[in-house]
Amino acid sequence: MVGAKARTGPRQIRAAMTYRFDRLKILVVDDNPHMRKLLAAILQAAGVTQLFQAESVATAWAAFNEANPDIVFVDWMLNGPSGLELVRMIRTDAKSANPLVPVIMLTGYTQIEHVIQARDAGATEFLAKPVSAKSILARLVAVIEYPRAFVRTKYYFGPCRRRHRPGDYRGQERRSAGSEVAIDMPPKP
Amino acid sequence: MSRKQPIEIFMPPNVLKAKVGGGGNGGGIDPATLARAEQAIEAMKGDFAEWVATDVEKLHTARAAFAASADKDTRDTFYRASHDLKGQGATFGYPFVARVADSLCRLLDTVAADALPSALIDAHVDAIRVILRDHVKGNASRTAAVLSQELEARVSELG
Repeated sequence: MVGAKARTGPRQIRAAMTYRFDRLKILVVDDNPHMRKLLAAILQAAGVTQLFQAESVATAWAAFNEANPDIVFVDWMLNGPSGLELVRMIRTDAKSANPLVPVIMLTGYTQIEHVIQARDAGATEFLAKPVSAKSILARLVAVIEYPRAFVRTKYYFGPCRRRHRPGDYRGQERRSAGSEVAIDMPPKP
Repeated sequence: MSRKQPIEIFMPPNVLKAKVGGGGNGGGIDPATLARAEQAIEAMKGDFAEWVATDVEKLHTARAAFAASADKDTRDTFYRASHDLKGQGATFGYPFVARVADSLCRLLDTVAADALPSALIDAHVDAIRVILRDHVKGNASRTAAVLSQELEARVSELG
């Protein structure tokens, strides 16, 4: 659902039941300490207690593989290698603790080509700044309620880059008809 | 060109949903949770001006380094500082800081490093400092709007 508008409007807010966010482990990666502080405050207020923070791809990679978080928030522009690099490592590195983890990419970029780049790197959700409590929590709900199918090709491993969910498409399958394999659990990338 | 390639699609088990439960019909944010998160931001608002000031100072320092020695490293540091303010200015209550920083990023994106007009770069950095100095929060300032518009127009002329 990269680039998707979060599916959280007033109706959904009224209908919501409480999530046990306290059961989640979340990794926040941003080189700006103020942004990390803001994200941490929002997530902690929502009930998250197992919060890990990193400021670079190197420290994030170590924290990711040690803590094995349930969700990763990563800023695109970091000091040194970018957040895109971290997403690619999470998805395709043989040492990745969890290639399927939902990754929410935060960025000041708003152009469509950046959304496509984030999508192609394997981001699950894209969140353009400025951020708010509502937009952050909406992305959390999105990854919980609307998990993405995963795709493996020779050149890509990550969330399905097509916008609809499996089974939604009614037309002729033009991508290698007959070669798609639906399985319950993914083999290692 | 043939688009055929082996492709495997699978739906991982929803371990997050199993962990956190809740939701219901399509899920949503519990209003009390949202209120707590918004209160947490409200409680930090007193720090926002200082945070933006730190980032503006970083921009100023990066600009000085780029002016003294225009190379890839100083340009990247300067761009990153601009991009930080573009993303965070509005989050921290200064949308005009974000708007001018956005214009500055476009300038750095569209004009080759050796052809960048120093005066226009400085005009952006100075505008950001003045907006912060005068505590121009929100979108209501006519002066800040005109200033932002003028800077954007100058950048558009170059792109």
